Amino acid sequence: MNDALNDMNAESLKFFGKVNASISHELKNILAIISETAGFLNDLTELAKQGKELKLSLLENCSNSIAEEIQRGFTTIKQMNRFSHSVDVAVMDVDLLDILDLMIGLTGFLSFAGKVRIEDKDQKFETITTCPFLLQNLLYRILCFAYECAGPEGEIRLRLSPEKDKGILLRFINSGQMPVEKFPDEKIKQTADLLGVEFKKNNSFYELNMLIPYTCDKIKDVEKNQ
Amino acid sequence: MKILLVDDEQKFINMLAKRLALRGIEADTAYTGEEALKQAKNAVYDVAVLDIKMPGISGPQLKKKLFTLHPNLKFIFVTGHGAVEKSDEDGSEKDIYLSKPLDLDFLIETVQELIQTR
Repeated sequence: MNDALNDMNAESLKFFGKVNASISHELKNILAIISETAGFLNDLTELAKQGKELKLSLLENCSNSIAEEIQRGFTTIKQMNRFSHSVDVAVMDVDLLDILDLMIGLTGFLSFAGKVRIEDKDQKFETITTCPFLLQNLLYRILCFAYECAGPEGEIRLRLSPEKDKGILLRFINSGQMPVEKFPDEKIKQTADLLGVEFKKNNSFYELNMLIPYTCDKIKDVEKNQ
Repeated sequence: MKILLVDDEQKFINMLAKRLALRGIEADTAYTGEEALKQAKNAVYDVAVLDIKMPGISGPQLKKKLFTLHPNLKFIFVTGHGAVEKSDEDGSEKDIYLSKPLDLDFLIETVQELIQTR
């Protein structure tokens, strides 16, 4: 188990770096819009000084745009903060919907990300005892795979259902075909194995099913070694 | 001087186009590579300013397609990383990379320099 965990360290660091790079890219985009809007306001001010009429609607549009981007920035920073703190504790009780929501947000910064919708978002599930960081890594990779299959205009629906005493069945239903021969790749398989996640066979090229256990022996070992 | 701005960050290029217009520079906008190709079939541009990472066709892929349509077209890439200048794969032409947020005066200066080198 420890060897397997050590093998995961390099991959985990890569994942952490990749997510942080995509967050910084998102923040740069936000700042670029605010910077151009501020520049445009300066342009309008200069024109007004020269006696040109200043349209109030333009000022209103600019201030609304800046406010929207600041809100986008706050949301991004909140996601960054949640993600950063996911390494604080190796094993803990988590709400799968919370983790899915965060991973959908973070993968949304990727240029090839499509639309994702969680069906029946108001459902309540038992918490899962797991390694939140590794579970995030797994879900992030699977979402990336699903986006690539769906294409930029595609849509992925996520359906969750409890399996008594076992865990939560998570289904990725994709508008694009998902080639079974490419899934799961070695990295996904390795992470899933550590988390006790089991991929369920189904007959559809448009669907991936996985059972996320409420807990598993390997995770209990990690918890003991904390 | 006519510029094509391509970026999926719509507000960013819309605002950039307005600021360029105030300086007498005509700039069209496209939010995807596909849209940019359609526009480039019906208009002649001096410089294309391309975001590197976009859904569908990426900036470098779009450059190749636009270059086939308009061999005289010059390119500037906009990136979330630091401002650098990199050589093209064949070493014949240098691509200009500018970092977001953009310095408008530097962008205009770069566009003018590119046009002069044609």
